[in-house]
Amino acid sequence: MARKSVKLIVAGGFGTGKTTFVGSVSEISPLTTEESITEASVGVDDIRGIEDKHSTTVALDFGRITITDDIVLYVFGTPGQDRFWFMWDELSQGAIGAVVLVDTRRLDASFPAIDYFEQRRIPFVAAVNKFYGECPYEEEEIRHALKLRPDAPLVWCDARDRDSSALTLIRLVEHAMSQLPVGTWSGV
Amino acid sequence: MSRDFWNGADHGDGVPLVPLYVLVNGRTSPRTVGLDLATQVIALKADSGGLEPEYDAIVKRCQTWISIAEISSYLKYPLTLTRILVDVLLERQFLAVGSPAQETIVDRGILEKILVRLKSL
Repeated sequence: MARKSVKLIVAGGFGTGKTTFVGSVSEISPLTTEESITEASVGVDDIRGIEDKHSTTVALDFGRITITDDIVLYVFGTPGQDRFWFMWDELSQGAIGAVVLVDTRRLDASFPAIDYFEQRRIPFVAAVNKFYGECPYEEEEIRHALKLRPDAPLVWCDARDRDSSALTLIRLVEHAMSQLPVGTWSGV
Repeated sequence: MSRDFWNGADHGDGVPLVPLYVLVNGRTSPRTVGLDLATQVIALKADSGGLEPEYDAIVKRCQTWISIAEISSYLKYPLTLTRILVDVLLERQFLAVGSPAQETIVDRGILEKILVRLKSL
């Protein structure tokens, strides 16, 4: 079957506006899927005392954008808790790239996401969310504070605004295209 | 989670009579390679009667192409369980599967189509 799914990731620390961003570009109301995991399996698995195991729920918000009759784009927000890296691994596998939302009041909240995508060579754009008002910093100051590599795009966006969020995704897809090996063309 | 699956305790509302690991024959991971949460499936048979209710609900949800993440969300099944139930339904040929979503996209044409669509949002 030729039915194709493609994935984009929206990451960033807690409270950076991931769910808002997903909702503003999605053609459906954002959905939530949950993974139920036991605390014991996060660290050392211990089969004693099963009745006392507390299960933790990892929630993923996502939306969809129909691209063509046979291609659907899914936009996944990463779980709020950074420690569930196994979910990030699944989301990233085969993903076109990621938007890392940045709140200038708490730049450090976005460090883990930036590190994650840099280490795995997954294309990403850092997007300063203007949700909380005008950004008091210059682009260079933010790039420096985030330790962004020169080729990593930095954009400003308002996660509540559909056009603004769509522009951020456009910038990401263009960046992902620029990272493709030279001579990679479609169907020819 | 609005519906708790069997957690070792046989009491409370909404707990299935059959533990779900029995329903999936103890399977803990899908056998179909590339069954990603974004992978889409579609029902092949209109008649899913006779299936266990959890399977039946999935087949009914798959009358048009739908991703595993969407099935999980609409039916409020945990993601891993949904993946395994879908895997069993694929084996039993109640569902068909689309392209794996875990392949790295190197097709510039797909990215160009995405760009065109995003620009029309």
